[in-house]
Amino acid sequence: MTVKKLGLRQRYEHMTRGLDWETTYQKMDDVFPYDSFEGIKIKDWSAWEDPFRLTMDTYWKFQAEKERKLYAVLDAFAQNNGQTNLSDGRYVNVVKLFLTGISPEEYQAHRGFAFTGRHLRGAGARVAAQMQSLDELRHLQTQVHTISHYNKFFDGISEFPHMHDRVWYLSVPKSFFDDARSAGPFEFMIAIGFAFEYLLTNLLFVPFMSGAAYNGDMSTVTFGFSAQSDESRHMTLGIEVIKFLLEQHPDNLPIVQKWVDKWFWRGHRLLGLVAMMMDYMLPKKVMSWKEAWDIYFVEAGGSLFQDLERYGLKMPKYADIATEEAEHISHQNWAVFYQYTHAAAFHTWMPDKEHLDWLSAKYPNTFDKYYRPRWELWAEMEKEGKRFYNMALPQLCQTCQIPMAYTEPGNPAAICFRATQFQGETYHFCSDGCKDIFDGEPEKYVQAWMPVQQIFQGNCGGATVPDVLAWYNMNAGADNMDYTGSPDEKIWKEWHPDADVARKAV
Amino acid sequence: MTHQLTIEPLGECIEVEDGQTILDACLRAGIYLPYACGHGLCGTCKVEAREGEVDHGDASPFALMDFERVEGKTLACCARMMSDVTIEADIDEEPDQRRITVRDFAGRVEALEDLTHDVKGVRLGLGGGRIDFQAGQYVNLTLPGVHGTRAFSIANPPSEDGYVDLQIRRVPGGQGTAYIHEVLKPGDAVALSGPYGRFFIRKSRGGPLLFMAGGTGVSSPRSMILDLLAAGYRDPIMLVHGVRTRADLYGEAEFSALAVEHSNFRYIPALSSEPQASGWTGERGFVHDVAARLFDGLFEGWSAYLCGPPPMIEACVNTLMRGRLFEKYIFTERFLTAKDGTEKPKSPLFKKI
Repeated sequence: MTVKKLGLRQRYEHMTRGLDWETTYQKMDDVFPYDSFEGIKIKDWSAWEDPFRLTMDTYWKFQAEKERKLYAVLDAFAQNNGQTNLSDGRYVNVVKLFLTGISPEEYQAHRGFAFTGRHLRGAGARVAAQMQSLDELRHLQTQVHTISHYNKFFDGISEFPHMHDRVWYLSVPKSFFDDARSAGPFEFMIAIGFAFEYLLTNLLFVPFMSGAAYNGDMSTVTFGFSAQSDESRHMTLGIEVIKFLLEQHPDNLPIVQKWVDKWFWRGHRLLGLVAMMMDYMLPKKVMSWKEAWDIYFVEAGGSLFQDLERYGLKMPKYADIATEEAEHISHQNWAVFYQYTHAAAFHTWMPDKEHLDWLSAKYPNTFDKYYRPRWELWAEMEKEGKRFYNMALPQLCQTCQIPMAYTEPGNPAAICFRATQFQGETYHFCSDGCKDIFDGEPEKYVQAWMPVQQIFQGNCGGATVPDVLAWYNMNAGADNMDYTGSPDEKIWKEWHPDADVARKAV
Repeated sequence: MTHQLTIEPLGECIEVEDGQTILDACLRAGIYLPYACGHGLCGTCKVEAREGEVDHGDASPFALMDFERVEGKTLACCARMMSDVTIEADIDEEPDQRRITVRDFAGRVEALEDLTHDVKGVRLGLGGGRIDFQAGQYVNLTLPGVHGTRAFSIANPPSEDGYVDLQIRRVPGGQGTAYIHEVLKPGDAVALSGPYGRFFIRKSRGGPLLFMAGGTGVSSPRSMILDLLAAGYRDPIMLVHGVRTRADLYGEAEFSALAVEHSNFRYIPALSSEPQASGWTGERGFVHDVAARLFDGLFEGWSAYLCGPPPMIEACVNTLMRGRLFEKYIFTERFLTAKDGTEKPKSPLFKKI
């Protein structure tokens, strides 16, 4: 009788068998202390369909070749002074936002998946989480290396790890990942594996990577390709996680639904930074945030939740509100950063006429009515030498930590305020979504490190703006303020003496 | 110009057009390969080309590494075939699937029978030839003056291999079925080829089996059930056959007799639009509703075989999943007519249901 050759899947199973042995020196519950308190019930870990099916030796081989290719492109970019071929000097602010706001979260994801990989009982889930943990570390490293080239010429980049733990708006992504990492391993998998890496990932990466491609940033495009080849495994893992939990036990459904609601809303709030980047910061536009939201959430997310409905899982709570907000969120965020440009580590500007017309065309229902007049007023004030700065510290939402600048559903003329009393204190929220999240676990969110409150409590270097900026390691006059008049603009004009003339002609 | 593509470990062999990608050819032939981005960036659709030559197309150097190209890997979504090719894909092997070569047969109409007012029973003799097939598979018919082929499930069990029985409903406005209902007569020659399809019983899995059939979708289950009972299958077998009214029901006498003869077989005809006053004492409602009632909504532990029009399949899958029977235990054969367009876009959550 001939021995049949093993299939790909069987070969993999053979290579990884026995990784989930029953411990005998210690009780299994002592070895895996974190996988039961969340209430998730797993009847059979062997039903986990490992979506990666990659052994470690192959993994290293893959990643080594990806690195070689990426670094070859980075070298070429540096040798050819690729930074001078960008669409405009303003574009670099996108890179700054990415490095300060996204890259540190890759590191957080790395640590989160390392923890999860250690604390889940199933071998397949552990191997998958371990590999994703290494991927995330690689993503951080390649992003830092890519962007380090820009650091030679532009401001606001060098202090990114220091700023991540201190700067007011960077507390938004930081608190998002802190929240996920301080949850149990299953919630982390739904939060980051499913909601972030699957449901919302296209809204995060596609805008940045297409934006880079449209604006001549070939180095960022290349790390994007390099990361995307890992991303497919991450997305498959996200899908597997949610199917697995829902199929294992009917009691898991309400728990998973609560997490999906929570992390959809948290993700939506976090993505507001990407929305602003797409609509305001890319000199050459890819598509509007509203268009991206319609394609990647309304359509793709819609068909996903239609399929998930078979498990009884419903569309995330407030998905309709989030879709309504897609008309507003980029404008409201840019308004915040414009007003607080003195405290931000990237530059801001008022859109020129061509840009305003583009926004009017992309947002016919809202832009001319609610935002264009304000931008034109602020531009007018700039001309008169009365550039508007908001010198009051903003009230922050206790959950997402974003200044309370969002408007009421159905009424873009009124700021949305929500509040909850807990243990004799009042806590404030930007939305029903954020309030619900707090109300679900108030003991957790009262511990949040709130940047504004910390300044008022005297924990941030002093009481004045210069004191706080110094504590942020922000190089005042270079890292912050408007693009016009910045050292960034100066160096760009040295490379492109005709650029200014071209802009004025518009 | 076309090339032959063999897909291991399934052993399926399909024709691929010049310039068509391997992924496109597989998906069109009903063979699911894992894929995601569809344009060479993510690497989800990586397969091994064991024999033959492929052009890697636009596969990203980050998604398909140089060392993998040397090892013969390729991305199905970008790969175009330069010769006949055998690929090995990361898909589950089916221990119960037999590899049967598709053959052409010169069939001849042996008998025609009106099963109902709009369903014709057609027996095609094979002129002394024999067809080897698995219960649940189908054949393609080439009809005179009708463009393309028409697929019909084989209703007889594989033990009766000298002919194929087909149950063909007249599709309003349908060219192929109009020909069969109006023109076809005993003695006519009909060219057919087969067997096709991967709808077959996972016997090695054992356990109770639920068949959910809509209209002429009962033809495959008939073949499967006759085959199972003849082989002495011991676990429970249940058939829920849904049609609109009493006038649309056929096969009742045969299935009822089988249920009497075999204590593990249960037959449930269900009528969805039968007038209340008709005296019908059997089940009323759609297949999925009737099944949910009979099972008290819980299907855990069963394997389900679904055969019928797409809306019926969709409703049954939803009911089964709500009853905690998941993709791994649900097998479907969708009856599409030539008029059915492509289905609505789906998320990658499910592969085959």
